[in-house]
Amino acid sequence: MEAASVPSGLTLLEFLRDRLYLTGTKEGCGIGECGACTVLFDGKPVTACLVLAVEADGCTVETVEGEATDGQLSVLQRAFVETGAIQCGFCTPGMIMSARGLLRRNSNPSDDQIVEAMAGNLCRCTGYEAILAAVRVASRPPAEMLTGEAVGSQPVAETLTGETGTERRRFLRGAESTRKGGRR
Amino acid sequence: MLGRFDYQRPSTLPEAGRLLAESDGPAAILAGGTDLLVDIRGRRHDPRILVDIKRIDALRRLDVDPAGALTIGAAVPLNEIIERAAIRQACPGLVQAAESIATYQLRNRATAVGNLCNASPAADMAPVLLALGADLIVWSLRGERTMPLSSLFVGVKKTALAPDEIATELRVPVPEPGLRSRFLKQQRLRGHDLAVVSAAGAYAPTTGVLRLAVGSCAPTPLLLEPIEVGRSSKAAVEEEAVRAVQAAMRPISDTRASADYRRAVLPVLVRRLVADLLAEGGAP
Repeated sequence: MEAASVPSGLTLLEFLRDRLYLTGTKEGCGIGECGACTVLFDGKPVTACLVLAVEADGCTVETVEGEATDGQLSVLQRAFVETGAIQCGFCTPGMIMSARGLLRRNSNPSDDQIVEAMAGNLCRCTGYEAILAAVRVASRPPAEMLTGEAVGSQPVAETLTGETGTERRRFLRGAESTRKGGRR
Repeated sequence: MLGRFDYQRPSTLPEAGRLLAESDGPAAILAGGTDLLVDIRGRRHDPRILVDIKRIDALRRLDVDPAGALTIGAAVPLNEIIERAAIRQACPGLVQAAESIATYQLRNRATAVGNLCNASPAADMAPVLLALGADLIVWSLRGERTMPLSSLFVGVKKTALAPDEIATELRVPVPEPGLRSRFLKQQRLRGHDLAVVSAAGAYAPTTGVLRLAVGSCAPTPLLLEPIEVGRSSKAAVEEEAVRAVQAAMRPISDTRASADYRRAVLPVLVRRLVADLLAEGGAP
C-alpha cells in the first residue's frame, strides 16, 4: 500500500493511467458518454473521467487489471473472448467492469437488465449483440469455462456459437422492448 | 488535468458554508460532478474552489415517512432513489424521470438536487418534482430557507441561489390518497441524449386536481396552473392541458430539434400523459 499526493484537478482516470500506469482503463470521450473508463468505485460502476482522483481518498477502486488471477482470465473475460465480443478491444475494459458490477448485484440478470446495465458502454465495432451474449454466458458459464479449459478449445467454442445464435435473437427482442420503453 | 482549483471535502454544513462564504474567487459545489466536471473540462466554468458535499451526513438522507412524504438529500445519487422500493410505489413518476437520465454509471454519481441546480431547461428531474409540489431547502451561514421548487429556476442555467447558499434537500409533500404521477420524455437516443421535450403530471383522483409541468420548451422548466378535472370528459381535460401548454411554451431551435417540432410534439406527449393519468383504475 502506497500513499499518493495528487493535484485536485487530476481525474481518477488520469491518476490510474498516468500515475499508477494501470492503462487497462481507457479514455474515450472524457465526458462520461462512452463508458470506456468505467471502473468500480466502492463497488459501483462509474466513469473515471468524471471522478476526481482526490475523491477516491479512502475509497475502493477496482479496474480491469483486477479481473485475471495468476495470468488466468476471469470467467467473464473468457466469455468475452469465446463469444467474439472483442474486436478492437478499446471498449472492452469498460464493458467488463460494467458487466462485473451487474453480475455482482444480480448474478442471474434478465436480457433487459443486461441491456440496461451495458447501455452506458459504447462499442464501434461489434454491434453489441456478442457483448450482450458474453454477459449472459458469464452469468451461467458452461462447466468447461469454469475449469479454465475453455479458451481456444474447439468444442466449447462450438457450444457457445450455437447458443449465441439463440441469444442474439433474444437480445434483439430485449433491445427492442427497451427502446420502446424509452419512447413511451 | 481538468483545471486548477482547490478541492475541499467538509463534513459539516457550517464548514461548507464557511468555505463558500470565504472563497476569494468563484466557488462551485461538487455533488455528482456529472455536469460540473464536464463544464470545467469544456472551459465553460472556471471555479477557484470545489466544495465536495458528499461527506456531509445530513445531505445523504433519503427518507420516505410513513405518510409518504419524501426527503431527498443533495448528496443522494439517482440510483439510490431508483432502487428504493417505497419511492417507486409512492412516486412512480419520480423514478421514471430518474431512470431516464443518462446511463447506469452516471446515475451512480449524478444527484437529483444537482440536476435541478444545474438549471438546464431540459433537467429531467424538474417537471415531475414541480408537479409533485416539491420544496427545496436552502442553507447558508445566514440561515435556512424553504423555497417552492418553481422559484429556483430563473433562466437557462440560472438559479435563485446566492453564491454562498447550498441546496441541501428536496421535500416532496405527503401525496393525496391514490396520487398518480408520470413522466414522459421525447428523445432521439436513450441514455445519450437530453430531452427534446418532456412532460410530467400528478393527478389525485380524490381531489380531482391535475398538476402538469413541462421541460425543454422554455428557458426554464414550467409548472402549469392546476387543472380541476371535476366532471369534465377526458377529451376535454386533454384539450385544456394542451391549450395551457401551448400558451406557456416558448421553444427554441437547437441541435436536438426545431422549435416547430417541439411545438408539434409536446401536445402529443401531454395528451398521452393526461390520458394515462386519468385512465379508470389506472395504477398509482
